[in-house]
Amino acid sequence: MVDPANTPLGKMLLEEITPVVMVLCTPLVEESCLKNGLSFVQMLSPFCDFTNIDVPVRTASDQPYRLHKFKIRLFYASDIRQPNLEVAKERLKQVITKAGEDDFPEIYSDLPQVNDLLSRHESEILPTWFQFFNKELVRTLSFSDHEAFDHPVACLLVVSSRDEESINRFIDLFNTNKLPSFLSDGAMDPKVLKHYLLVHDNQDGASEKATKILTEMRSTFGPNDCQLLCINSSQDGQTRHKDTPWSTFIKNLMQELSSKHIIPYMEQKIRLLNQQVSSTRKGFRNQFKNLWWRKGKEDALDTTNGPVYTFSSIESQIRVLGDYAFMLRDYELAVSSYRLISTDYKLDKAWKRYAGVQEMIGLTYFMLDQSRKEAEYCMENAFNTYLKLGSAVQQNATRCGLWWIEMLKTRNQIKEAATVYFRICGEDLLHSAVMLEQASFCYLLSKPPMLHKYGFHLVLSGDHYKKCDQIKHAIRTYRNAVSVYRGTTWNLIKDRVHFHIGQWYASLGMYDVAVTHMLEILASSHQSKTSQELFLRDFLHIVQKTGKTFEVLKLQLPVINISSLKVIFEDHRTYASPAAASIKEGVWRSLEEDMIPSLSAKSNWLDVQSKLIPRKYKESNICVAGEANSSNVEPQNDEYKTSTSTGYVWLLSTYMYNAYIYICLYVLMCVYVFTIILSFGRDINSSLVLLEVDFSLEGGETILVQLTVTPRVEGVLTIVGVKWKLSSSVVGLHNFESNSVNKRIAKGRRKPKHSPSADLKFIVIKSLPRLQGFIPSLPEKTYAGDLRHLVLELNNQSKFPVKNLKMKISNPRFLNAGNQSYLNVEFSACLEKKLNVEQSGGHANAKKMLQNVFHFPEDISVQEETSLSWPLWFHAAVPGNISLYITVYYEMENVSSIMKFRTLRMHYNLNFALTFAIYVLPSLDVSFELSPCPSRLEEFLLRMDVVNKTSSECFQIHQLSSVGQQWDVSLLQPVDSILPSQSLFAGQVLSCFFMLKYHRKSSTSEDSNPLFLQSDVRLGPPGNSEALFDVCSSPLADFHDYERLYQGMSCQGNVDFVFITQLWRGNIDSGAPHRPLLFSHHVCHSSLSSFSPISWSVDGPRTIQHNFSASPCGVNLKMTINNSSDAASSVHVKTFDPPSSNSQSIDATASQSGLPLENQAGWFSIPAVNDTKVITTDALAKRITKSVSLESAPQFIWTGSSSTKLKLQPRATAEVPLQICVFAPGIYDLSNYALNWNLAPIEESQGEANKSSGECQGYPYYLTVLQST
Amino acid sequence: MTSTACFIIVSRNDIPIYEAEVGSAAKREDAAQLHQFVLHAALDIVQDLAWTTSAMFLKAIDRFNDLVVSVYVTAGHTRFMLLHDSRNEDGIKSFFQEVHELYIKILLNPLYLPGSRITSSHFDTKVRALARKYL
Repeated sequence: MVDPANTPLGKMLLEEITPVVMVLCTPLVEESCLKNGLSFVQMLSPFCDFTNIDVPVRTASDQPYRLHKFKIRLFYASDIRQPNLEVAKERLKQVITKAGEDDFPEIYSDLPQVNDLLSRHESEILPTWFQFFNKELVRTLSFSDHEAFDHPVACLLVVSSRDEESINRFIDLFNTNKLPSFLSDGAMDPKVLKHYLLVHDNQDGASEKATKILTEMRSTFGPNDCQLLCINSSQDGQTRHKDTPWSTFIKNLMQELSSKHIIPYMEQKIRLLNQQVSSTRKGFRNQFKNLWWRKGKEDALDTTNGPVYTFSSIESQIRVLGDYAFMLRDYELAVSSYRLISTDYKLDKAWKRYAGVQEMIGLTYFMLDQSRKEAEYCMENAFNTYLKLGSAVQQNATRCGLWWIEMLKTRNQIKEAATVYFRICGEDLLHSAVMLEQASFCYLLSKPPMLHKYGFHLVLSGDHYKKCDQIKHAIRTYRNAVSVYRGTTWNLIKDRVHFHIGQWYASLGMYDVAVTHMLEILASSHQSKTSQELFLRDFLHIVQKTGKTFEVLKLQLPVINISSLKVIFEDHRTYASPAAASIKEGVWRSLEEDMIPSLSAKSNWLDVQSKLIPRKYKESNICVAGEANSSNVEPQNDEYKTSTSTGYVWLLSTYMYNAYIYICLYVLMCVYVFTIILSFGRDINSSLVLLEVDFSLEGGETILVQLTVTPRVEGVLTIVGVKWKLSSSVVGLHNFESNSVNKRIAKGRRKPKHSPSADLKFIVIKSLPRLQGFIPSLPEKTYAGDLRHLVLELNNQSKFPVKNLKMKISNPRFLNAGNQSYLNVEFSACLEKKLNVEQSGGHANAKKMLQNVFHFPEDISVQEETSLSWPLWFHAAVPGNISLYITVYYEMENVSSIMKFRTLRMHYNLNFALTFAIYVLPSLDVSFELSPCPSRLEEFLLRMDVVNKTSSECFQIHQLSSVGQQWDVSLLQPVDSILPSQSLFAGQVLSCFFMLKYHRKSSTSEDSNPLFLQSDVRLGPPGNSEALFDVCSSPLADFHDYERLYQGMSCQGNVDFVFITQLWRGNIDSGAPHRPLLFSHHVCHSSLSSFSPISWSVDGPRTIQHNFSASPCGVNLKMTINNSSDAASSVHVKTFDPPSSNSQSIDATASQSGLPLENQAGWFSIPAVNDTKVITTDALAKRITKSVSLESAPQFIWTGSSSTKLKLQPRATAEVPLQICVFAPGIYDLSNYALNWNLAPIEESQGEANKSSGECQGYPYYLTVLQST
Repeated sequence: MTSTACFIIVSRNDIPIYEAEVGSAAKREDAAQLHQFVLHAALDIVQDLAWTTSAMFLKAIDRFNDLVVSVYVTAGHTRFMLLHDSRNEDGIKSFFQEVHELYIKILLNPLYLPGSRITSSHFDTKVRALARKYL
């Protein structure tokens, strides 16, 4: 352990707690001294510090010891008073301000690094002015009345030799009212050691007069107490810095004063006081007495300051004893005295004095270097006592704390010292700031360093500085704090530090530095809206103040989502819209597969490329001069909840050319507008066309920005990065290449390992024709079934014609190409049936369509700067979403380029909220049901159910057609009777019945003419002269083919129907321009296969007149059996006689009454329902059957063979003769026969034949036999 | 319920991965900043104390004016730090233990990367409920 006296605290104490000598001098003394530019005290002070005085001292104990170092402090009597607090504070403030100026860091100096700080020595880190400040702070407490060490030990009376009546002047000096207050108010013994000094300036004349006065003085005041000081003032006030003999003289004078007068006086006083104290206070009896006495006093005195102690009181004397002993380094005696008095003060509740004494005990223990615990305890006790006393003694607490801190520091308890610094902080903000800063350094210097605490206390200190307008100090502390918080993820902390330091720099007018700090807080998504607004407002304000444009590499506002970067460029693939460009390449590839030249052609193309293009760029993408590329960058603004910015975004590009980039930017409020400018390096601005983009971003918003570059000359284009402008003065810069984030290049034909830089590099080739295509009137919303005529516009703006056009449409069910002849025809009229139309043409076309690729006629080419229109048919086949992809392939004429062909890709998404949004709504729900006519060959009953599913539309039914030329459709009842208005209103349901008849091709050529075939049924009003639509020609036939394809496998024996409606005419005028006109609903595969493949009919006479008296009547009947299946079948017809008349009649009635029931279960034709005779015949039959049933014999029998077997070839018809014999007149039901059929299994029909055999009961066949007269 | 309380989970790399102001007092912007500062500064003390005891709950380790910092250190050296102004040690201990269970459940999530921010709203709700219950 080092000698306590050599520690900082020890040195401080030895300097501060020393005897005080009060100086009283006449004005003439001052005057003569001032000739040298010094006051009297200033002149003497340098000689008051004795490093080797070597005086023997004997205090209370008998053992003398030697003092080596000694110091006395000289003060004018007028200065010996408690300093004015305000003045003291002002002085301290000046100290701090000056330190702030001196210590202020260079503007452009780097921020301090923590590691750097740690590696340096303590003395390099700690600002030097701390020591000075602390000393000044302690000095503000001098001459308090409760501590005796500042009380003057001696009094030096000085009179000049020029003074008149020198002796009297000496006496006057001590009797004036200028004496310190505590001498006059009794806190201190006024009888102090007096020393008389006569000052003689040799310039004023010879020293005889002075010697004379001296002898006079000696006789008056005693020979030892008087001395003469001769000085030699310089001429003209000029000071020559030479060794003067006077300096040693003064030194000797002061040494003599100390060793011969002051120290002996103090020794003597100590001994005297010690004696008194021993007699009154030491020993058991005295202590007991003292306690007793104090107890009594307790009730009487209870003021806050405790009792008033005069110099004559024993308490004061003990304190003086302790202080004198401390000053003479007799620490043992000092401690014992202090301890003695401390209990007294405590009992008296004289807290301030108590604390002062505790403080001294602690210091004395420290100087003794023993019982450290005790020393610290005393200091803490004193400190806490001071704190309890409140702000009045705040200064005392501060001093005590500082001493305590020094004590802790000496013992390496730096952490504890820091906490004491923190506790010192009182109401005075400025002092607190300094203390907090010192505390922070304690944390930094502690082992291990506590950096978190360091930062926190720096910030606290900075805030205090700021409150006292010490901006430079505040900045200094915060700068240090930044070194701790750099890169921290504690966002609130980081934001606060940077925001404040930025603000403060700005308030000093140092905007450049301010901006660098403010930049750090822009991306603060965690902050509330108000603070974000504040941050941004301040930032923009500061930027404005600088009046400069900043270029910032890491501008955080808006945030660019680099993963969204997408470069879209066009080589041989061109896009009609950005939507088309955003479709996956694979979709297009599969679409174009069989259209673009095959692999061999491609390799040729590559060969050419490798010849033309330097090897270096082989992997680069190709784009065409004069065509825009674009890139998407998505800015995101989830960072800021509000706030705002203005800016520009540029695309940075070096020498070279052409690509779009979509950039994602996030920003702030809508008020401000971003302008996006594509900017390119150096001197080729003329060869590029750049697009500026203005946009605004709201808080939390993300937008996709499309930037476009259009190169004008051939070369290489590289996209380097993007630049944007915020608030028209801050330029953000983002370098794509530096960022190794995966970039998705949408359309690159790439190898798997592709460097990102290659993705952003483009070879620009010579300008080529580029077709632009669009479909002008594609509806946005329509109803299912809508059939309309569209036009594809292909525009060639280049100087070269293109040829060999081909087109492929992804979904021909919805859209397909028409014939050129349809281009200018009027819609809906062109679909009408024309008598002279060549039917075969349509079919040929349809076959071509099924190949999916539409070849434009060879002679079609798009000439330079012209456009080509081509008809398209659109059919909204099903409700819901439709995505359409259209590719147009074309080749360039007369262009020698590495690109021989290009494709134009168009995309329409029918449910997207894009420009081309189409949503197909459900319209009509059409269903058909077929049932065979039992008694007719190849005739069917057709029920059509139509439901209008729209909410408001009204449809006018127009036509029902069966497709193909084999079916005859006819109405069972006029439409008027079902639907008088011919209009289907919203939600309405319509059921309609038709008769469907198979029309054999094998019949006469006359019949096969479709013109005679009734395959269409007009459902419109009867007087309607509107032509029917031709379902057998394009485009209806084409679309029908696709419907067949999509609705299922095509097979024989099925019927397809097309139901055509129109919107009610009344609606058309009010509707939108793109209102659908015509709807066609295609229902395919209304299956017949569920019915029996075998059908038959029985033909024969219905009414016979016969004379039964002559013979029974024989009737010949003919049964025609048709096999409608694809398999050969064997049919077995069995007849059997009616079993009994009873059952016969029951059967008859059952068959009559059962009809309605069967009608519900399926569709059965009522035989001869349109025959008016039926009713009468039926009625007659009933009657007759009844009458006949009374007779118990069968009325007719089957004659001929009762069982016939025959083989039927596929799709063949056979006739079987039948014969009956009737015995009596009447009406007979000839249904008592049965057909057994058996299909021969054949391979290809295995799947679809659901029945291979069956048995059918005969149909009722009524024969009326009358008795002929 | 304490009037002021701020709960932060700090990962082993001193990165806050979850923050919640759970006090009943009105939220103030600068208060939130101060809380972060105090808790951040307390990390030093935690560093010192964590290796001196085998207990996970370190009790009140630091204070700033009337704000007290209590800390709980998990085995993975994730620190739960609670800044509070009331002295309810038992409640705080229970709070920490229950939050520890919740935290372990978060860790068990295979999609959660240890040391990354806890964004689960379920966790947040649960922690706030625990704070109401114990603090």
